[in-house]
Amino acid sequence: MSYETLDISGDAGIRAMGGSIREAFEAAATGMYSLITDLGCVREDRTIEVSAAGESPEGLLVRFLNELVFHFDAYGFVGKRVDIKQLEMENTGRGRLKADVHGEQFDPARHSRGLLIKAATYHGLLVEKKDGLWSLDVIFDI
Amino acid sequence: MAVQTLKRIDEFRIEVPDTYVQGMKVPGVIYLDAALGEGLEERAIRQVANVATLPGIIKASLAMPDIHMGYGFAIGGVAAFGQEDGIISPGGVGYDINCGVRLLRSNLRADEVAPRLRELLGVLYEDIPSGVGSKGKLRLEPGELEKVMSLGARWAVSKGMGSAADLERTESGGSMEGADPSQVSVRARERGHSQIGSLGSGNHFLEVQKVDEIYDEQAAGKLGLFRGQVTVMIHTGSRGFGHQVCTDFLEVMERAVRKYGIALPDRELACAPVNSKEARDYLGAMRAAANYAWANRHVIMHWTRDAFMSVMGMGPKDLGMMMVYDVAHNMAKMEEHMVDGKKMMLAVHRKGATRAFPPGHPELPALYRETGQPVLVPGDMGRASFVLLGSQRAMEETWGSTCHGAGRVLSRHEALRRAKGRSIYRELEDRGIIVMSAGKQTLAEEMSEAYKDISSVVEVVHGAGLSAKVARLLPIGVVKG
Repeated sequence: MSYETLDISGDAGIRAMGGSIREAFEAAATGMYSLITDLGCVREDRTIEVSAAGESPEGLLVRFLNELVFHFDAYGFVGKRVDIKQLEMENTGRGRLKADVHGEQFDPARHSRGLLIKAATYHGLLVEKKDGLWSLDVIFDI
Repeated sequence: MAVQTLKRIDEFRIEVPDTYVQGMKVPGVIYLDAALGEGLEERAIRQVANVATLPGIIKASLAMPDIHMGYGFAIGGVAAFGQEDGIISPGGVGYDINCGVRLLRSNLRADEVAPRLRELLGVLYEDIPSGVGSKGKLRLEPGELEKVMSLGARWAVSKGMGSAADLERTESGGSMEGADPSQVSVRARERGHSQIGSLGSGNHFLEVQKVDEIYDEQAAGKLGLFRGQVTVMIHTGSRGFGHQVCTDFLEVMERAVRKYGIALPDRELACAPVNSKEARDYLGAMRAAANYAWANRHVIMHWTRDAFMSVMGMGPKDLGMMMVYDVAHNMAKMEEHMVDGKKMMLAVHRKGATRAFPPGHPELPALYRETGQPVLVPGDMGRASFVLLGSQRAMEETWGSTCHGAGRVLSRHEALRRAKGRSIYRELEDRGIIVMSAGKQTLAEEMSEAYKDISSVVEVVHGAGLSAKVARLLPIGVVKG
């Protein structure tokens, strides 16, 4: 699993890849945290559990990431490692997930300040499987 | 494709024909001169065209010269929809509900402040939290957030910050009627709880400025502005509170689109009929977020006045730090406008566009009834900002709207690349601009080159008659997130 940043005028995005949709989702979440701060300085002191549900894989991804945005913006929790424990996708496309996110409290004295993410958006959103590899594009409003 | 199929109407206007994308109900009009037209992105044109397909759109899908690609609606977009057959769309407002600009005048000359400017910025930077992961200094008592949502800046005045004279100089009196806190989610409240009185990050700022050019002496006098004077500009919005309201209602609108069978060319245009429950609920929550933003700018202004008093050792009377005005540039409002000679109530969406009401408009305070509404247009931190006045022409052509800023030309990544090996901080200092920034990265991303030249944007709205230039303000000290 891996991620890279996407260059978008005015905002920022992540392209995440993984051998399974679960891995790709985990990479997208980690990639998003890497826009907020340098993950090398983040410790795994605490774990929070988040869950999300959506009408489609795309909707699920946006809702999942917006849960993480919420926990950062409201409570300053920044994740380093994301572990999706449960991921169910129905044939209709509807899906839900539960994840443990390992990280710590954001501290401007120790953590670099990167981008302030307002939300994950539906703009240019892409969830696709090609040659056995899942690839996700998601753009954040900054 | 594209740019060639557009039709130039005159020096300042381009038409996007109603055949540009399928299903357009009206044409698009983009306010651009030839030079700015060269940088026009195809995807932004397409967004102007997509908005023209929405139900009940009236006259045209409009975009200001600071247009660039947004989500669903382009940034710089203005669109009005009929009350009976039109829609309300959170995407036409944006994530940062009531992002806006507040300008304070003073009795001070720049040369009086210069010896203490560094100290002053230090105090402002300390007192007004900014940057990623920062919290406001104010802890709201239980029940207080309800009052912020309902009363906006009036809440701050009731807490002893500022006065009624400030409210008079704020769009909508700093307090929008019809806010419905019951439509605001627990999550939005949790995000908003600790962020009142904080700037945020990105392009938000607090600037100490110097009036360096006056274009209309008489109008400047009425606004309390003079050459060489120190002004303070505050650019921020509703913070995480508003972002969460937008996130929440995009989901609601997704369902509404299916429920009402609205065909959309882009998912981010999700909307609901003006008279639907979904639209009413959104407007109730959006107005609560708008009030949050006005309270936020008001608190920051109050601390700014305190900082000036302590550093300059002067009282409020001698400082004369009255507000010039406060404008919203991300908002949907129900407004009365003339359509084909008839008065109609319309849902006007301004996303990265500023209201610019003309002289005599009943919504303006007595103080500005003769001049027209002050319009505040912030530039990037290295160039300039402008004060303009609203006009009758804007009322007739753009539902009383004008531009809101410079508009980006470089992506953040490209800006960072170009800033590599340079000290943006030093470059600005060499030009007489002191910057205090929470994040080095933000500073590079927000450098002047990343933006269109604000002067060329303002020349278009001035030339097109949408608003008239009054004064140019140069930054001398900047606090950035």
